[in-house]
Amino acid sequence: MIEALGPAVVGWSELPLLVVLSSLVPGVIIMFLAEEQVRLRNSLNLLGAVLKVVLVGLMLLGVPLGAEYEWTLQVLPGFELSLVGDSLALLFVTLSAVLWLVTTVYAIGYLEDSPNRTRFFAFFSLCVTAATGLAMAGDLFTFVIFYEALTWTTYPLVVHRGTEKAVRAGRVYLIYTFTAGAFLILGAVSLHVVAGTVEFVSGGVVDPTAVATAPVRYTVVFLLLLAGFSVKAAFFPVHGWLPVAMVAPAPVSALLHAVAVVKAGAFGVIRLLHSVFGIEVAAELGMAQLVVGLAVFTIIYGSLRALGQDDLKRLLAFSTVSQLAYIALGVALMAPAAHVGGIVHLVHQGIMKITLFFCAGLLSETLEVKKVSQMAGVARRMPLTMLAFTIAALGMIGLPPVAGFLSKWYLGTGALAAGAPWVVAVLLASSLLNAAYFLPIVRTAWFDERDSEWIDRGRGPGGLEADWRLVLPALVTAAMALGAGLLGGLDLSPLGWARLIVQQGGL
Amino acid sequence: MGVGELLLIATPGAPALLGALWPVSRMRKILVAAAPWAALPALALAILPGAEGATVSASTLFTGLHLTLDTTGRAFLVLTALLWVLAGAFARSYHATDPRRGAFFGFFVLTMAGNMGVVLAGDILSFYLFFAVMTFAAYGLVAHRRDGEARRAGRVYIVMAILGEVALLAGVLALGWAGAGVPEFGSATVEAWSALHEAGWASGAAALLVLGFGVKAGVVPLHLWLPLAHPVAPTAASALLSGVMIEAGVLAWVRFLPSELALPAVGTGLALVGVVSIFYGVAAGLAQDDPKTVLAYSSVSQMGYLAMGTGALLRTEGWATAGLLAVILFALHHGVAKGALFLAVGVADRTPPSPRSRWQHLVPAVAALPALALAGAPLTTGAMAKTTLKSGLRELAPAWYAPLDPVLLGASVGTTLLMARFLIRLRVRMTDRSRHHPNGSGDARADRRQAFAGLLAPWLILVALGVAGPVWLSGVVPSGVDAALPGPWDGAGEAAWPVMAGVLVAGVVWRRPDFLGRIGRLRVPPGDLLIPLEFLAGRLRRLPWGVLEEGRGGGIVRAIHRGQVWVHARAARAAEWDLGMARGTVIGFLLAGLAVALAVALASP
Repeated sequence: MIEALGPAVVGWSELPLLVVLSSLVPGVIIMFLAEEQVRLRNSLNLLGAVLKVVLVGLMLLGVPLGAEYEWTLQVLPGFELSLVGDSLALLFVTLSAVLWLVTTVYAIGYLEDSPNRTRFFAFFSLCVTAATGLAMAGDLFTFVIFYEALTWTTYPLVVHRGTEKAVRAGRVYLIYTFTAGAFLILGAVSLHVVAGTVEFVSGGVVDPTAVATAPVRYTVVFLLLLAGFSVKAAFFPVHGWLPVAMVAPAPVSALLHAVAVVKAGAFGVIRLLHSVFGIEVAAELGMAQLVVGLAVFTIIYGSLRALGQDDLKRLLAFSTVSQLAYIALGVALMAPAAHVGGIVHLVHQGIMKITLFFCAGLLSETLEVKKVSQMAGVARRMPLTMLAFTIAALGMIGLPPVAGFLSKWYLGTGALAAGAPWVVAVLLASSLLNAAYFLPIVRTAWFDERDSEWIDRGRGPGGLEADWRLVLPALVTAAMALGAGLLGGLDLSPLGWARLIVQQGGL
Repeated sequence: MGVGELLLIATPGAPALLGALWPVSRMRKILVAAAPWAALPALALAILPGAEGATVSASTLFTGLHLTLDTTGRAFLVLTALLWVLAGAFARSYHATDPRRGAFFGFFVLTMAGNMGVVLAGDILSFYLFFAVMTFAAYGLVAHRRDGEARRAGRVYIVMAILGEVALLAGVLALGWAGAGVPEFGSATVEAWSALHEAGWASGAAALLVLGFGVKAGVVPLHLWLPLAHPVAPTAASALLSGVMIEAGVLAWVRFLPSELALPAVGTGLALVGVVSIFYGVAAGLAQDDPKTVLAYSSVSQMGYLAMGTGALLRTEGWATAGLLAVILFALHHGVAKGALFLAVGVADRTPPSPRSRWQHLVPAVAALPALALAGAPLTTGAMAKTTLKSGLRELAPAWYAPLDPVLLGASVGTTLLMARFLIRLRVRMTDRSRHHPNGSGDARADRRQAFAGLLAPWLILVALGVAGPVWLSGVVPSGVDAALPGPWDGAGEAAWPVMAGVLVAGVVWRRPDFLGRIGRLRVPPGDLLIPLEFLAGRLRRLPWGVLEEGRGGGIVRAIHRGQVWVHARAARAAEWDLGMARGTVIGFLLAGLAVALAVALASP
């Protein structure tokens, strides 16, 4: 039956628009609901999330059959809103849609009986709308619109708790992202002036001969755009907002670190290197090497900073800084295997990191455990949570069979193929550092006796260690992290899809 | 799919499936009940006639999972299956009243799944996957006691395991790159090696693999974790660590290292490391009090022989079958003997307590049988293995043989002394125990006798298998080359005198239990070289790492932190948002969108 569905959806060019609307419409409706309309709000949210997953699933069926989903709307002469559902866009959209559904369940459980949920869930939906929009953006103009929308839809989520610390974190977030946004718009405009087009084309839209005649101009454009993306991609030295923003509630951290925000930055870097400039042109300008250098430094720097953290969420934030740079590193190297590794890490990092944040939220909600030093023996009280945490942490280190290993394998062999064996040394050093800050947590949780006071909020129904709406999402994403590794050979696994993208020249 | 293929899947699959039951609390009873027998499919596969050549592959799993049973794998599977079944049966009684037996058997089956997979893996990444599962699951066995000692042993184990894992991943990555994918063992690996050779990286990659797997094999100076971890683990796990998992490091060398390339530098280095290990293990082991630590150092020493043999193989182009045979035979012999010796300590610890028990004589007497085999006494597997190794060496590296031969004879004397030391300390441990607990608690005695029988049976079976080894081992080592195997009497005279010399010395000092208890006046703590390293690590931890934090350091990092602090401070003056403003913005956007749409609609013809 599913096979029969494929051909039917091939020609459905409005699908990208529907995917965006599936969260935009619920988001806008929710904004005008009253705080007490809990059931309606939750239903709308879940309906939108499920609908989005279904619509994305339809597109996933169509693309391998050769479908090219494209929906355009002329806004002004010369500027059009363009949504394209190609294989690369779908990788990101699928990640966002699936994790959004899981996070919605988690958020409903997490925020139960807390104030301002209408505001929260409205922006939550809008935030994912922006993420899916920029994932499917067919040109830089559309991309910039959704990228900026992502900034201002996330801000209310970051400051949600309303504490002084949260408000301050929100301001830091705004200053970083709006400044970067200014660079991005400037870069987009200069690209339009210099190259005459802002369309995304696989292999690059700029003309190599034009670049050769005016390298300085193109370098400036590249640097402007890179500056625009690097804040959300959390490159050193503009990563500072990410560890500060961890004051946000756990579902927001999940959104920031896995579903939308940092992924938007990394995705921008992919588009910049492969759809705007093309990797060869970028390498000729020396810009690909610059990105590799930045990424390598960020990988080591993030891990070193994570090493010293006691606050669990802060540790995870620095870990994101480090892991995210793998993506940029992979796509900036001149080897197909490395591209596969970089692209697939977009998904792998997402499912592993969202698991870790779910678990951090579970620990702080159930036991008020927020620090690594309070985690001794915590696995005896919350074994399922720590099982999920352990799987994701082992994946972060890059141990098989969890998904992280596959990323590392492709990045490593790709680095060798690109003639950069020193990058392998960096990857291995990063593995060691990841082990140095994750394994002690896992060990103390499982093997030590409890040695600190917890404020136990009690078990969930049926004797479950906590509310099932919090436990289940963590287990589901942990299973995904394990499954993405164990079933890596499937065509529809993230790895299989990433290989398809690179084989099709979809970058 | 035939019986062979089904068993091939079940061999790592059965323990892995049991491991998957672990998180479900209602299933844990099944796990504990079935875990000791999870290695039975492996045993069935090992003795199934005509199973060699069975292959299963699943391209959708991981990076393409390949399981296959070849002659080398068959030989290792016999050892692996035997020890896991017997250790499982032993552990069943040993942990019958252990409150943490659920955790023990959970880690037990996961480690087993990894170990079985290592033996059967048909390509480099399947091997790497199972090897990692085995390594990390075994942490739970090492740290089972949860006390300070176990924690320290576990920490040292895991740190060294990770360092090893990183080194071997570097080597595996190089192979993957050179093989343009995931090479299967055999011709694809040979091609990958020749590509690496052309790129000039063959020696480097081989050195990384030697180091990475050398941690598991426990050769000096990568042995640091071994004298801590092997003794502190529960007895059944010690037997497995020292009897099977350590040999997995050697199997890894055989599988990964290039058989068609001569790498003289790496080979000579490994052989040298081997010779050093042989003597170092004996010397440090003689200075130990805990019989299990003595055994652990004996493992270091015995792995030296295997490193020496593998090193000699690496130096030659096209591995001589005699050499490979010697390595496999030695690994099998050591596994069976060392497993039996470790189980002896567990039996000794659980003998029914009474002051003048006959067990105090019986247990060391029976343990003397595998001890003699390890020392290489005539008519034992040890004599067979050592004779084969020597003839292999003579063939592979004739230049080394002349100077090495007397050295190895000296090592045999040393091994005999080490085994005597073990038996003495075992007896001391039993007398101490009966002195401290003269009569156990009365009511539980019948239970305890039953449990003791459950320990005794697997141990005696393993000892008997070791004694009968010269008969059945020739049927297990790779067929077609068993012409090179010596008969039981070959080299018996040569093997006899170093053992006799050792026994003589031991007999003289038998009544002095602290004989050879120290080297001169120097005591050697378990872990030897680790002690200064731990001191250094402690110092390293006290370095001002805080410089990284909040920009307390110097240079660019500090300047950037200052910039961040400045930005964050300015942020405090930015405007605030609330829901009303947000609603306003959304309405604004909607109106603007509507206006644009209207404008577009009007502008278009």
